[in-house]
Amino acid sequence: MPGVDHCLQEAMAIPGAVGASIVDYTTGFPVATTGAAPNSDHEAAATGTADVVQAANSRSLYVSALPHDLLEDLIITTAGGYHLLRMVRTDFDSRLVLYVWLDRAQGNLAVARRRMQKLADELVAY
Amino acid sequence: MGLTVTASKTVPPGRLLTQVAGERQTGVLVVGGHPGGAVYVLEGRVIYAESPAAPGVGELLTASGRLAGRTWQNALDLGTSTARVGRLLVEQGHLTQGELELCVLGAIYDAAYFVLSSAAAPVEFLTGATHWLGPVVHVDPAAINREVGRRVGLLDEIFPDRRIDTAAVAPVTRPPRERVTLTSLQWELLVHADGQRTPADLALLLGRAGYATIQELRRMAAMGLLELPEARSETPEFVRLPRARGTAVDVERPVVRPQETPAVPVVAGARASVPAPDPPPDPPRHPLAEESGANQLVYRPPRLARRKPGAKLPKEVAGEPPPVHQGTDEVLLKRIRTALRALR
Repeated sequence: MPGVDHCLQEAMAIPGAVGASIVDYTTGFPVATTGAAPNSDHEAAATGTADVVQAANSRSLYVSALPHDLLEDLIITTAGGYHLLRMVRTDFDSRLVLYVWLDRAQGNLAVARRRMQKLADELVAY
Repeated sequence: MGLTVTASKTVPPGRLLTQVAGERQTGVLVVGGHPGGAVYVLEGRVIYAESPAAPGVGELLTASGRLAGRTWQNALDLGTSTARVGRLLVEQGHLTQGELELCVLGAIYDAAYFVLSSAAAPVEFLTGATHWLGPVVHVDPAAINREVGRRVGLLDEIFPDRRIDTAAVAPVTRPPRERVTLTSLQWELLVHADGQRTPADLALLLGRAGYATIQELRRMAAMGLLELPEARSETPEFVRLPRARGTAVDVERPVVRPQETPAVPVVAGARASVPAPDPPPDPPRHPLAEESGANQLVYRPPRLARRKPGAKLPKEVAGEPPPVHQGTDEVLLKRIRTALRALR
């Protein structure tokens, strides 16, 4: 039965993945974590993740430019890595995002994005 | 296993949680005061937390429409005695394991904020008690204590006024700015705030996390969109009256004073029997006893102050202070309400 831990294990199986977490983006709290985090600090990384999601969701005009135009994912690329954030939409009230950190040399952005989409969907639906 | 109850003492609830977690105990930490609540511990790990100010797993799942009230109630009926309500919902295919875990995790951290954030409250630990949901997740108590502290700080960064968290929510009728941008949760809260509902009422009504509700309310207070609790009552309120919204609705009846109104012969007789300005209630009169004829005595119902729906009784009338563990009563009431919903 795929639970939260299973979801994170699967995320770590994405080529190039070095760390993964599920973050509550209203409070910047890491609900579940695995693997490495930037600066070896999952809690600090979660706070930063929350800031980025909040900025895209409520402080920029990209989201909700049209009705039902919801945020799907955020991709940040750096010289050394990819940081992918995928919104986890539950029917009940929650504000969660799946975060995966990929090594740039080994990671494939398109593959990782597809896999994360599938993981986030499977976590909350059949 | 017999239940052992530690004597209720007034301590920081978080400290007692750390203590029982260190001893790898199993039981429930019951925290009194307002809002109070309970934290369930299994061998030193937190498996559930609940507070009247935070919607529980049942409220979150049914208020959102994720589960029908009947489905939830069936799981409660079947699984409560054996403490496996959560597992049943997954086994019967109503929820995925992921949904259940995320929902329980969210509910734990949400309730924990309300249960553990008070500096001192009457706390007792009931050894051996377990929760009907069953162990779905196991959370490190230290992580919970740390997160509660962080959440307290986050709120004060937004708008440092704790009264916002408990007072009835009253939006200002005219915003102090030309343009207002709201998040969707803020919109929901504004639409449902009627001047009577507290943040906890709104969270339960909308099936939204209690902390997220308070967070958005503090943001709206910072934008000047909410009336601050102190500005609301000029005089001590014995009865909480509904507040007028906008200029179209006026809940205050104009006080009729005989000397201010022109004397109309037909009703003057009736007026004279009602001394101004503060009339004691008329003795009850049967409508049939009403006189008719030359003096045209019109029957008037006794002018008793009517208790508005949701209003609190005056302190003298209410008498007894609320019991110390009101939290557990409210938890019981919430369960009864969930059961009633299932019957609809």
